[in-house]
Amino acid sequence: MARLSRSGQKPGKRSAKRLILFVFIFSAAALVVAQSAPQIRHVFDPVRTAAGDQLGGSDSIGLWARISGQATRERRIRDLESEVRELSRYKAAAISMAERLEAYENILNLMGEPPVRGVTARVTAESDGPFAQTLLANAGRAQGVDPGAIALNEGGLVGRVIQLGEYSSRILLITDFNSRIPVMGEVSGVRAILFGGRDGLGSLTDLPERSGFIEGERILTSAEGGAFPRGLVVGEARRLGGDWRVRFGMANRSGGYVQMVPPPLIETPAPVADIPASDVPDGPAQASAAQGVRQ
Amino acid sequence: MASRKSGRPSKSLWSQTGPTPRLLFGAFAIAAIGLLGLTPKTLFGLSIAWPYAALWGAVGWGRVGLSLRPMVLLIIFGLIQDISFNAPLGCFVIVNLVVYGFSAWIASMFDVMHEPLVAVIAPILQFISGFLVLWLMASALEDHAVRATPLVAAFLTTGVIYAIAQKVFDLGRAPGQPVGQAT
Repeated sequence: MARLSRSGQKPGKRSAKRLILFVFIFSAAALVVAQSAPQIRHVFDPVRTAAGDQLGGSDSIGLWARISGQATRERRIRDLESEVRELSRYKAAAISMAERLEAYENILNLMGEPPVRGVTARVTAESDGPFAQTLLANAGRAQGVDPGAIALNEGGLVGRVIQLGEYSSRILLITDFNSRIPVMGEVSGVRAILFGGRDGLGSLTDLPERSGFIEGERILTSAEGGAFPRGLVVGEARRLGGDWRVRFGMANRSGGYVQMVPPPLIETPAPVADIPASDVPDGPAQASAAQGVRQ
Repeated sequence: MASRKSGRPSKSLWSQTGPTPRLLFGAFAIAAIGLLGLTPKTLFGLSIAWPYAALWGAVGWGRVGLSLRPMVLLIIFGLIQDISFNAPLGCFVIVNLVVYGFSAWIASMFDVMHEPLVAVIAPILQFISGFLVLWLMASALEDHAVRATPLVAAFLTTGVIYAIAQKVFDLGRAPGQPVGQAT
């Protein structure tokens, strides 16, 4: 007679189930390993974006909300929040413009940045797990969000769109360890690269050896690399334990909405051979880099 | 009051429920808690550590031995977790199945139903094993040692809620197994 285990299963049946469990675990491990290849990882992107659309796309008002008047109140709150967001945007724009004006005064003939129009979306899900720190917003390609769009809230820069669905966008937060943001001090002008720290504050790397930030000064994006526009508020500089850290502005004002603005578009310069001969100005055969800037 | 007259305590509705309805109820609870966890979670400005609900199923359902239906449910929950946490597909599947297998292995070795010390220590070990597997996988896949504090907080929440609501994830006997074989 077959001996039963504590769980009451026969040994033969138990070993078959054990085998199935191992097969499942190894299949999952193989799936994880296979995704280390970008080509295979991209195969699953439609699944992720479709799931994101389902999680982030629904914005329906329930029957109870209609009956109790909660829907009206929420609409009013949304309008007021939208107004506050709009005003906050102007405040951030004013700071940015003041900083830019100074640059204009210093550098003649500086190329201006066109005004941007963004899409405001509600944050429908957030993942604070051990993997990438991301948000899911309920606006996607259908609402006019661009790939790589910049996400902002009332406090400043939130992150960048890393995955775009039809009705949803996944935003990689600037607090994530893997995010790298070129930043500068508003007053000191010191430049560095910002990434998310383990304690909720931003860490700075690639700082100049001799100069440092000023305690409490605002940290802005420097636009180096072309991924972010210049002058977006990121946070405040803090001196902690001999290191410069950044207290994120977005963390203080997380009202549940983000505005997604298109990333700066920098056109790739055409090769010299493609430029028509008539476009080449008459002058010295070789021009220095300085002459190129200050014509 | 027939039951009192006969001196036998009346059985609760849950104790009369079979393993399949219990499995479905547990799965519903996990899905509901998991979906709530996707929403922004702050209380008076403080962020709340949300539990990994699927681990309740992995620990609780494994106590009656291995079975195919819980495995399938744990795979589904794992894939949903992978998508919601933006993890490579399969990570949370591995965590759930490893904890489930560990729970079933402990159940086959010790009397997890009646030995109080084992009944307390076994789930703690299983949650710790889940935490370690998840942390190791996340660190390996993200190319750096990921923050352990939010993970520990989430696992503590998972453990505390499991201690309160473990009955919901107790199948009584393995699904498909006839009455009388289970301990």
